[in-house]
Amino acid sequence: MNRIIAYIRRKLSVRVSLRVVVSAAILFVAALGYMFFQARDAVYHEAMNRATQILDKTSLRVDSILNRVEVASDMTRWLVERHTNQADSMFVYSRSMLENNPDFYNCSVAFEPYYFEEKGRYFSAYTKHVGDSIRTIQGGSDSYQYFFADWYLMPKLLDRPCWTEPYFDFDVATNTSEMVTSYCQTVKDRQGRMIGVINTSLSINWLSKTISAVKPYPHSYSIMIGRGGTYFVHPDTTKITRQTIFTQTLEQPDTAMTALGYAMQRGEEGVKQMHINGKDSYVFYKPLGRTGCSMAIVCPESDIFRSFDRLQNTIMGIVAVGLLLMLYFFIRIITFELDPLRRLATEAETIASGQFDAELPDFQRVDEIGQLSHSFGNMQQSLVKYIDELKKTTAQKATIESDLRIASKIQLGMLPEKFPTRADRDDVQLFASLTPAKEVGGDLFDFYFRDEKLFFCIGDVSGKGVPASLFMAVTRSTFRTVSAHESMPDRIVTIMNKTIADMNKNHMFVTLFVGVLDLPTGRLHYCNAGHDAPLLIGAGIGELPCDSNIPVGFMPQWKFSLQEARIFTGTTIFLFTDGLTEAMNANKAQFQMERVNEVAARALDNQQHEPRQLIEQMTDAVHQFVGDAEQSDDLTMMAIQYVWQHNDARMRKNITLPNDIQKVPQLNAFVEEACQTVGLDEIDTMKIKVAVEEAVVNVMKYAYPSGERGDITIEAASNDVRLKFTIIDSGKPFDPTVQSAVDTSLSAQERKIGGLGIHIMRQNMDSINYERSDNRNVLTLRKKLNKKN
Amino acid sequence: MKTTIQEQDGKMVAILAGSLDTAAAPETEKAMSPLNDVEGKDIIIDCTELEYISSAGLRIFLGILQNAQGKGGQVYIKGINENVHTIFTITGFSNIFKFM
Repeated sequence: MNRIIAYIRRKLSVRVSLRVVVSAAILFVAALGYMFFQARDAVYHEAMNRATQILDKTSLRVDSILNRVEVASDMTRWLVERHTNQADSMFVYSRSMLENNPDFYNCSVAFEPYYFEEKGRYFSAYTKHVGDSIRTIQGGSDSYQYFFADWYLMPKLLDRPCWTEPYFDFDVATNTSEMVTSYCQTVKDRQGRMIGVINTSLSINWLSKTISAVKPYPHSYSIMIGRGGTYFVHPDTTKITRQTIFTQTLEQPDTAMTALGYAMQRGEEGVKQMHINGKDSYVFYKPLGRTGCSMAIVCPESDIFRSFDRLQNTIMGIVAVGLLLMLYFFIRIITFELDPLRRLATEAETIASGQFDAELPDFQRVDEIGQLSHSFGNMQQSLVKYIDELKKTTAQKATIESDLRIASKIQLGMLPEKFPTRADRDDVQLFASLTPAKEVGGDLFDFYFRDEKLFFCIGDVSGKGVPASLFMAVTRSTFRTVSAHESMPDRIVTIMNKTIADMNKNHMFVTLFVGVLDLPTGRLHYCNAGHDAPLLIGAGIGELPCDSNIPVGFMPQWKFSLQEARIFTGTTIFLFTDGLTEAMNANKAQFQMERVNEVAARALDNQQHEPRQLIEQMTDAVHQFVGDAEQSDDLTMMAIQYVWQHNDARMRKNITLPNDIQKVPQLNAFVEEACQTVGLDEIDTMKIKVAVEEAVVNVMKYAYPSGERGDITIEAASNDVRLKFTIIDSGKPFDPTVQSAVDTSLSAQERKIGGLGIHIMRQNMDSINYERSDNRNVLTLRKKLNKKN
Repeated sequence: MKTTIQEQDGKMVAILAGSLDTAAAPETEKAMSPLNDVEGKDIIIDCTELEYISSAGLRIFLGILQNAQGKGGQVYIKGINENVHTIFTITGFSNIFKFM
């Protein structure tokens, strides 16, 4: 069933056809129903007429028979009354009655006892049919004293002719009896005395046959009842005279039957619809004149409406077949008409599956389907066009995204990835993180070690995205380039500012903090160009005091100021961009400096202000604060903890030499002795000798004006870790570390004579550091000692 | 510091002995100046006895090499000890001189 419903739902043609056919069926049924109702009514009336006519005809016929009996009886009475003295003539009269009326059953002309004295007590001329002949005998005997019979007494007592109730006429000769009804009238003499009775009988059986001979319908039948309701005519002969119309109702109460019985007894005429022997039937009834009997014709309804029902069934059948045929043809026709639509649907599905170039069927139609097909074709073309554009746009977007990803990698690749560990450095610990808000960002940080100095910077370019990232890249590379030759942050920033401002057409700028931490001394030189002041987390928490310099990038002539601070061992410098303080949560509230201070204070309390720990705690705090809100700005943090341990000196010696190169052998002897004291091998000793000689000769040659005498003090000191030479002079400021490196891969002809000294120093020592302090040049050379030493 | 120049098998040989530091450089440069006048002969610098060299010494070596190569000659360094060779390596001079 469900499958059928699903099929109907799926098939438009079936659905439409079904609707049309069902509508038609409803119309047909209504029209036919009305017609059938009317026709049935007509048939009913026709049947009533017909039955009534037949009943009337039968009644008339019975009437005529009775009339004939009465007339014949009257004729015979007239004859008998003329010849009352001729007893034998009575036989003639009696006989002639039957001869003239073969359908009479018998006829008696009976006289009072001893009327004919010669005939004795009984005289009755009795004529009766016996087979084909007529027999006339003298009825009446001691065994049959007729003058006590009903038929004799009734006219005598009533003194008028009358019809008897049916009774059995017993024939002594044949010993048979027959149910008869008789018409009796008295015979009188001239004085008016009653002398006898003429009795003419009709066979009830014959009468019944006569009445039943007329059948309006095949299964209809007639009944006749007497005054008492006794059946005289009934198809079931066993009921005749033995049962009354009420007999059956005694066993099974049947009000309709009882009512019929009373109506018939009362001599009424009419029709009743009732249930007889399991069939709906119409009973037409009418009294039979003078006899006091009533007859009825029972017509089963099925008989009356048989032909009508047959016609009705035939018509219904034709209509049903017609509707089914209509349904079939409708489905075929609609399916045929909708076929283009079906093909269109299939093609549309193909297109929907992504095959946009599928060819649409070309219908040469101008109806709705044609329009639909046309519109669909247009839609397909538009779709193809849009998909193409979409593909192109997507591809372009993918390219841009890919470019951005690469750019992001390049940008992050510019930033230092490796942070020194405890094993790498025992003087400083450092960690930084940069989280761009977009693929690429404008924040930057950088650090590197040159000699015994940590160069670092943090910056934030105005704006975000690609432009900011390009500016950031420029800033970072400028920082590297400039700081390679400059050791003072103010100089570095000033030069960077000029370089960047000269090529800054887009009026962008970058806030920048540049610091140079001298590791041996813990002295921090810094220059802040409009950036957030870093936090110092050590003995307490405080901001590093910063001059109000402008950001880098728009005033090329600006002279940035230098600041200096002493960083104590254990102190962490925490640098950040405004992405930290301005990190926003979903309610647009900012993280703010108070929270930064809180996190820093907590970290300090827990002694967890090592760079990596500090930044992790700060990151966690920001994430917790921001929640699910989108990151609004690049976020960069850098933490630098100064951990220099000033170990106790194991060896310390010094020598002061004039600026005379002839003192070099003396210097070399001093160095060699120092090296041997700490147990260095020949090669290391050689390397250090050469490096220190180069450094000292540099000072001898350049620190003092030509011809001017000056002293140079060389200190040798060592602890368990390092051997350190400090070369101090009071000449003009001179930083050998900013000299460019020599290219050792050049050919002999291309090699320059100079620049070798600083190269050898860098190569042979672990670090070189220059400081200008108290108007003195302080150059420090360090060499790490291997553990075995 | 001791410098000896002699001709052997048609080649000029300079034998260096001692420490060639900045203080000794001017004297050594002067002693080796005849090598700059050599025409068409290869030069061998015998460093077997050389104990030490600084950048001042390396500059002398480079001067001789540039001069000789300018005249189509070649400069060979002979018998250099490990320590001194380290300095040659560090400065890249090991790439431009030929060793024998």
